[in-house]
This record gives sequence, structure tokens and C-alpha cells, in this order.
Amino acid sequence: MSKGDAQPAPDLSLVQRWFQAVITHPDGLAAGEAASAAEQILPEAPGASRIDDLIAPSSKLSPHERLSVYASAFHARLVECLGETFPILKRTLGEDVFAGFAMGYLQAYPSKSYTLNELGTQFPRYLGESRPPREGEVPDWADFLIELATLEWTIEQVFDGPGIERTPTLTAERLASIEPSKWPTLRLQTAPCLRLLAFAFPVNDYFSAMRQDETAALDMPSPRESWLAVTRRDYVVRRIDLTQAQFAVLSSLQGGAAVEEAIAAADAWLPADDAALAGMIRAWFEQWSATGLFVDVIEA
Amino acid sequence: MMAMPRLGHANLGLGVGLRSTHYGHILKEQPAVDWFEVISENYMDSQGRPRYVIEQIAERYPLVMHGVSLSIGSTDPLDRTYLSRLKGLAQAVKPKWISDHICWTGVAGRNTHDLLPIPFTEANLKHVVDRVKVVQDILERPFVLENPSTYVTFRGSTMSEWEFTSRLAEEADCGLLLDVNNVYVSSFNHDLDPIEFIRSLPHERIVQFHLAGHSTYPTHLIDTHDNHVIDPVWELYRLAHELTGGVSTLLEWDARIPPFEVVHAEVLKAKRHMRGLEHHPDRVVPTAHDAPSSKIAADAPRPGHHPVGKVLPSDVPHPLHHLTAEVE
Repeated sequence: MSKGDAQPAPDLSLVQRWFQAVITHPDGLAAGEAASAAEQILPEAPGASRIDDLIAPSSKLSPHERLSVYASAFHARLVECLGETFPILKRTLGEDVFAGFAMGYLQAYPSKSYTLNELGTQFPRYLGESRPPREGEVPDWADFLIELATLEWTIEQVFDGPGIERTPTLTAERLASIEPSKWPTLRLQTAPCLRLLAFAFPVNDYFSAMRQDETAALDMPSPRESWLAVTRRDYVVRRIDLTQAQFAVLSSLQGGAAVEEAIAAADAWLPADDAALAGMIRAWFEQWSATGLFVDVIEA
Repeated sequence: MMAMPRLGHANLGLGVGLRSTHYGHILKEQPAVDWFEVISENYMDSQGRPRYVIEQIAERYPLVMHGVSLSIGSTDPLDRTYLSRLKGLAQAVKPKWISDHICWTGVAGRNTHDLLPIPFTEANLKHVVDRVKVVQDILERPFVLENPSTYVTFRGSTMSEWEFTSRLAEEADCGLLLDVNNVYVSSFNHDLDPIEFIRSLPHERIVQFHLAGHSTYPTHLIDTHDNHVIDPVWELYRLAHELTGGVSTLLEWDARIPPFEVVHAEVLKAKRHMRGLEHHPDRVVPTAHDAPSSKIAADAPRPGHHPVGKVLPSDVPHPLHHLTAEVE
């Protein structure tokens, strides 16, 4: 602790650790009280209740009833916040099942951030860690839910993260002005808001369909590989479907590869005919630069 | 030396809490609002639309930064990263002052994202006073603390909330944000007299008022910020206005948020109560025992009044400040 900070009052420290343990326990106040006693945070005498010792009653409510307002609020607030961050996942699972996952997550990864905007950081990971074992090689419903959570968390990050609204982006005209002979060695700096996602399910199609009809209860789609770019323009998050080849090229470019290397990385999915390939690549780069996926070009 | 009214800070008039659902309306219409209060945590790390919006609004309106995560009462060390980012935002948008709550939000490195109560003791008062002084030294801007709505009291408290609040402000030399609705909610929940609460504060240290709606249960009230301000709270506002001579007044509406015009119209009702004061200087204001057993319950049923003594899923108490992403 640096000079100037107050020394913590020991009594308050214990009261706060106890209070927090009691109101945040997923199984309620009594379980929280037992857990805090087990951890030797203000252990209670046999037959006594720390809640009754520490909390005063009001004329209308007992200490337990009063403290339960905080316990209910803790879970309700954070589950609601996660529901706002993962709205399509919540609708897919239904409110109760989603709340169950959310409660488990809050115990496994309690918030350590000063902002609720970070609350969902580990939620996709938690779903992955708590999933049942997959039967066979085929992606299953758990994979789909994890992918859907990954998409929604990516949208959240892209919305409030760094963007291109205040910086110039690489224009199609600037790209077109570069001599063709220099193209193989060009390196393109991708926009800081660009995220590239590969899925085992058509997650973006499902996300769009659910958003289009707010009352829809769609079946989980069958597995089908899909690729997606998530980016932001004018402060609004945009989703761009990609082919596998486009995903491979953009991923390589984002990783710092030169254009020639990036195209080589996608070789398996590209046409063998050179003229057709050149036309296709040109069209992609025009489209991507018009969409603001690149902020700069570095000529070798 | 006697402090100046409002500690010398300006009376900004009648303001509204900035909420993301109103961004488009405010930027387009530029409504004639006296000032805005923003939730600091929603903007201090933003590199997207929230940050753009706050900079636009800071150019056109007086601004105050209101935080929910300082955790001034926690026994964890102060979060220097948080304070640094808070200060960075303040340098960018130049708020008239920075506020937070007399509470703690978590301990042992965790954040409950709630405004949790502190036992009112001499030791805890000293703890909070010392931390406020550190925060003021770091922020180098006027710093103001708000009385929160609370739902428990501690047997170990040795002083009243208003004594703790008053001494905190005096000893740390900071301002007070008097949340009139919180006085009403806490007074009902703890069988206190809201008039004594407000009369007992150092009025010259009050630099801002908060107003909001709450949810009513038979046994307690919850500070949900999801409704109109009820008449007994307006009566307390009238008293606070009289005792302070008038300070910057801000309406908070955080759940089931109506169109901007409705929120703005709600805070403009304060004018009536200022004028009413001139006509009815001896008007009787409510006590804790008036509400909600007689005055409010007589109005039932009304939105926000619940017949059961249980928190409904829709009644998440303030604060719930999460920005929803905009996606095409």
C-alpha cells in the first residue's frame, strides 16, 4: 500500500468479507453463512447466527429478510446484465436455463472488474469448461451454444473497443494505385476492430434469423462450417459472412503475412486458373477496403 | 470559517442522467436541458460510440461525472488503475465535479456491483475519511459523495447515518450529493425520520440533489429508478431546497426508461416545488411513518407497487449500468 492510503480497519475488513460471502452464495443466505463460517470469516458460536448478531431488524423485517434483499439483488443484477450481453443465447436457452448457466459462471468467475461491461469476459470459456463430453466427432448442441456465446461476446468487445471512426482507412483507390508487381510483397494493416471467427455451425445465420423475428424459437441448426468477419463502422457493429478462402486470406494478413503468403495460405480453396484467381482477389480487396477492413498498406 | 453555499459551486439547474437509449435523440434534437450527469464507468474505457457521444455532449452542456465503482468504504486498497482512468476521463470532458457513493462494492478483489452499506462507527468513519482525502489528492477536482439507498443496518453502528455522512463531509472536506429518494427509501427501510435526516446534514456542503422513482413493497422500498418521483419525495425535495437555498438537481431513470421528453419533464416538475415553496413556506413534509403505510399505499395500485414482500425479477435495484452493443 502506498503512502497516503488508509490502513484498513480490521473489523470492517472481516465484516465486509463475511457480508460478501453471505449475499453472493448461490444457494442463499444460510449456505453463505455456513460457507463463511467454514472459511473462518467471523465464525459463529454453536446455535448462534452471525446474521442476527451483526444485522439489526427493522419494524417490518428480520435481519435475514433484510439481508436477502442484497442477496436477491446481487444475482438478479448480474444475471440480467449477462442476459443483455448474450441476448440470443438467452432466448435460445430460455430464461431459466440461461440463469442457471449465469449463476454457475458468476461462482466460477466472480467479477473482479470495476465495470459491468467486462462481466461476460470468460462466459464462452466457462461454457466450454462446463460442457458435457462430446459423443463422437460431430459438433453437438454444446458446441453451438459456445459458438453463439463467442459471437455475442465478440460483438460486445467490438462495439466499445478501438475502431476506425477517427482514423483514415485504406481506400480502394489507394490500393488500385499500387503497381501490380508490388502486390505480392504488400502487407496490409487490418482495422483494430476486425475480428475473424470460424464456426462449426452457421452461427451468424442463426443470429440474424433470431434478431429478425424477436418471437422466433428456432431449432438449433445442423452443423455446417461458417466464417465471419466482425467489425465496426460509424460506431455500429457490422457482420460480414466470409468464405473459407476469404477467412484464410484475412487471417494471414491480420497475422502480418504479405499478400502473396496470405493467398498461398488459402490455396486449397482458390481456383487454379490464374486469370480467374486474379480477378477474384482484386474484387475481394476492393470490397474489403471499401468496408474499412484495412487502415494502411506497407510496401516492401 | 463558514463554507459558502454549495461549497461555492454553481447551481447548474435541472439536469438529466444521460442514458444510452437517449443518445440519438439528444445529439439530433439538442434539447434545452440545463446539464447532464454521466455514469463514469460507461465512458472511461470506451473507444466506441459512448465515448463519442460524451465528447459531443461535453461540448454543448455542463457535465458531471457520477461513479458506481470507487468503493470508497472497502477495506481493499484503492484501485489506482480505476482512479487513473477516472481522472483521464475527467481531463477529457471537464466535469464540474466527480461523485460516487458512501458505500463499498466488493472486497478481496471482487466486485459485487452493488452499493453495500458500512457500519457507522468511529473507526469506519476514519477509514473512509482517510481514503476520501487520497482520492481528492489524486483526482484534483471537486469530489462529492452520495448517500445510498440501503436495506440493512448494523447492530454495531454507534452513530446515525446523517451523523456519519455529515462528519465524513466535514472531516474529509468534500461535498455531498443528497439523493432525496435515497433518504426516503432508507428512512422507510430503517424506521428513520427523513426530515431529521435532511435537517441534520451540513447544508452548505450539499452541491447536488438526486431524484428518482423507487419500488414499493409492504415491508420495504427498493431503489429501482424505474418510475416517476412520488409526491412524498417531492415534499422532501422542497425541504432540501429550502435548507440549501437550491442546488443542482438531477433526475435518474435507469429501468423501463421512457422517451427523453418524459424524463426531462419529470425533472422540470422541480420548478413547481420551488415555486410552491414561496407560496407554502410552512408546508408539512412527510415523516418515515407516513409512508408508504398511509400516503403511498392509499394510491395503490400503481406501477412499482408490489403486493408481495419479495424482490421481483424486474426490480433490480440501482445500479445496473451496462451498455448494450449496437449491431447491424
